[in-house]
Amino acid sequence: MQIRESNDGAVPTLDELETGIIDILRENGRATNLEIAERLGVTAATVSSRIKRLEESRAMKVVAVSDFAAHGFEILLAVGVKVTGRDVDAVATELAALPEVFSINMVTGRFDMELLVALRSFDEIAVLLTEHVGNIQGISDLDAGVVYDVVKFEFNVAPL
Amino acid sequence: MTKPALDELDHRIIETFSRDARVSNRQVASELGVTEGTIRTRLRRLQNSRMIQFTVVTDYRMAGSPNLVMMGIKANPSHVQALAKALSDMPEIGSVVLMMGRYSLLATALITSVEAADQLIRRKIRTLEGVQDVEVSWSIGAPKYDARLARITGPAE
Repeated sequence: MQIRESNDGAVPTLDELETGIIDILRENGRATNLEIAERLGVTAATVSSRIKRLEESRAMKVVAVSDFAAHGFEILLAVGVKVTGRDVDAVATELAALPEVFSINMVTGRFDMELLVALRSFDEIAVLLTEHVGNIQGISDLDAGVVYDVVKFEFNVAPL
Repeated sequence: MTKPALDELDHRIIETFSRDARVSNRQVASELGVTEGTIRTRLRRLQNSRMIQFTVVTDYRMAGSPNLVMMGIKANPSHVQALAKALSDMPEIGSVVLMMGRYSLLATALITSVEAADQLIRRKIRTLEGVQDVEVSWSIGAPKYDARLARITGPAE
């Protein structure tokens, strides 16, 4: 999705109550409507309707974020992709269909795309390169680096 | 990082909450055919081992519609650990990973102006000891992104 273009609707403005709800849910996304209501001095029904409104306007989403390891992913690769002689978006669409590619950013610079790829074992590199990426036309360069430590990984702001 | 072995029930619990993070333990219990106590215990264990975290993701618009800036940093090997720490301490930097091949480190930041990016890269990062090169690319958009899959690095809930 485009960062600006697809979200050119009005930016939802938050009142004090909504900011309070978001702060509590950020700390603990499992806080019940009643717990939130008691802390903010409103009714559970009000909390429920505000959360619904915030999620429907795509201002925020309460999520259960799971770790790569919970899905058995042992290896993370950051891969730069260069496309030649073909529409970059068409290549991105095909890459997006690959299950091991969990994020794609279209970028400026030496590469056209930056992928994050999650694999369960080194055996899957062969499948990725020969069967999956190898069958996509238009990729002229692929530069893969192995992530051996994730020092910081914030995920509380994202395109919704 | 110690990873507990997850069984089939853990996977089904994670999958259920990934679909709806606000669903009640009772509802999940009846859906999966176990007791509410089992869901509560399993969830606590998954949270404590940083396998799952319940939180809020706010949309880019709420942060002033920033662009994601990716910085591939080449550095002297002896400085990589100190650089990882220095970069992580910068509030504007959202992620830092250590890499083999391509770069020594890859860092990302959400930035709302070219001036702010220049300030960060030229004044704060390039001046750090051991930095040889910073390759910068701006994300124009993300055709694939799942906010529910990440590395949970913070303290256990």
